[in-house]
Amino acid sequence: MTDNQPAIKVDNLVKFFGRKQILKGLGFNVPLNTIAGFLGPNGAGKTTTLRVLLGLIPNAQGQVSLLGHQIPACRTAALEEIGAVVENPAFIESLNAYENLYWFGSLYKPLTRERILEVIEMVGLKDATWQRFGTFSTGMKQRLGVAFGILHRPRLLILDEPTSGMDPAGRVHMREILTRIHQQDSTSIFLSSHLLDEIQRLCNYVVIINDGKTVKEGYVSELLSDHHEKWEIRVSDEDAVKAREVITALPGSPASIAQGPRGLILTMAVGQSAFVNAELVKAGVRVNAIIPLEASLEETFIKLTGNGDSSGGGT
Amino acid sequence: MRRMLFLILFELKKILNRKKALLFLLALNVVPLVASLGLLVAYVKFKGFGFGEIQFSVLYEVVQGLFTAHFKLFAFIAPFFLALVVGDSFSTELGRGYMKTLLLTPVRRWQVISAKTMAIMLFLLLAVSLGGFFLQCDLLVARSLTQPTGLLSNDLLPGGLSTQIDKPLNLVSTSSAAQLLTMTFLANLMLIGFFIVFALFFESAILMTFTSLSVLMGVHTFFLIATNFLNKIDVWYDQAAKWCFTRHLDELFSINTINSILDGRASLMTDHVFAAWTAAFAWAVLFYAIAVLLFSRRQILH
Repeated sequence: MTDNQPAIKVDNLVKFFGRKQILKGLGFNVPLNTIAGFLGPNGAGKTTTLRVLLGLIPNAQGQVSLLGHQIPACRTAALEEIGAVVENPAFIESLNAYENLYWFGSLYKPLTRERILEVIEMVGLKDATWQRFGTFSTGMKQRLGVAFGILHRPRLLILDEPTSGMDPAGRVHMREILTRIHQQDSTSIFLSSHLLDEIQRLCNYVVIINDGKTVKEGYVSELLSDHHEKWEIRVSDEDAVKAREVITALPGSPASIAQGPRGLILTMAVGQSAFVNAELVKAGVRVNAIIPLEASLEETFIKLTGNGDSSGGGT
Repeated sequence: MRRMLFLILFELKKILNRKKALLFLLALNVVPLVASLGLLVAYVKFKGFGFGEIQFSVLYEVVQGLFTAHFKLFAFIAPFFLALVVGDSFSTELGRGYMKTLLLTPVRRWQVISAKTMAIMLFLLLAVSLGGFFLQCDLLVARSLTQPTGLLSNDLLPGGLSTQIDKPLNLVSTSSAAQLLTMTFLANLMLIGFFIVFALFFESAILMTFTSLSVLMGVHTFFLIATNFLNKIDVWYDQAAKWCFTRHLDELFSINTINSILDGRASLMTDHVFAAWTAAFAWAVLFYAIAVLLFSRRQILH
């Protein structure tokens, strides 16, 4: 098992539900030691892909391997090194958190009481250790799901929308937990989500799919650097017209100028901001502030999945 | 192997955790429980009035009838409860997603089916042997009361008993009782297999219970009609009736078979009884194989 082996390797995955084709030749590679985000609009086939990955449903065509194990042939060998939660975590309602983790978790490998309590505390369910699962709130259920996933220190953690149904504080906590696991146990994490800021803050690798096909995959930094930088230039209203004239007149002028709520929003090539600023000051425009607008995955995502023009392909 | 054992324990825990299980045990053993009470009452009354030949024959009839009634009732009630237990273990788990969580751990699908089957078998064994235990207790008490060389010491028996009996009454022997219990177990094994095959298609235990019991009754009704009426029209119906697996239940639980085993005239190895229970066992294996095949291809969506 070499280190350069991808954590998840999917090739030409095809899946039908009845006559409807859900996955149309999906393929991607997720390298080891990454926190990878799996993005796609609703109905793109995210959960279906995860189910095929974990051998819950058979695929019509294509190859899947997790940590070098072929799925579904070596499914159990792969699952011993993988922690996974697909959709809503389903545990036994009449048992409490500890019992659920003990009975389900022990199927991976024998567990000590300390380890179970440690994990429960890690996901912030300490007060609910002896509470029945049936009385849990949605957020608590998600936390228990993550606890179940990390119980046996897997090399790869596969999560399906781990923060859905959580409040903002819970999301921050969940991000912290995942980052900590990633750093401490060097666990690779693969999580699907449609919350883009979530993915952007947490992941360093993304796979974007749409309509059963891979649209884009790569490291987040690379993906974002494809695009122009965005800056907001705050000027007073009187100066705004003048500033606009100055910028348009510049040689090699920026890609676009838009009117923001409190100034102008410029999209320009990387490294041009200082030059533009200097020119504005030279022309006597009083620049109150020049603020970088963080390039967001959201734009990339919408651009790639073509959700902006609603008549896209997905219907 | 360790994982498999753990899985069986887990399944057993899940079954025993449900209130239905308790109800199941109580309902199936209602005859032995009531009979024990009755015997106690009889003992107290007889002790007051003193024993005579008539009382002995009454006691004999009671114990004999008790066994017949228990097995008849068990055979009649058990399918209903078994269907529910199987439905809970398979359909409910498929519907609520426990099965999904289970299959995310490194267990194989045939292991899941086998562990669940084993757990249900163990539970059935518990139910059967609990009834058997009570009946055996009744049997021992009755035997002690009617035979001079019983388990109870002479001091405990009503006065003058040992002198009154010349020849011991032919009561149910422990071996024939054990054989009846084994028979009950084997017959229900076939039903478990049948129910599991159905349970894999449903995600609600109640719906699965109704459907599978309807099919079971349908098959048996066809068998009865085909062997009694339709075979006079065409011999083909006799051939078709041979494949109605419910007929083995009928053969095993006929009053004739039960009584002849109770009297010691037949045993599990007697020709027609042997044929019936081996056939039932073969059907059980067949159903199990079908279930494993079906489950290995089933999509787990919830």
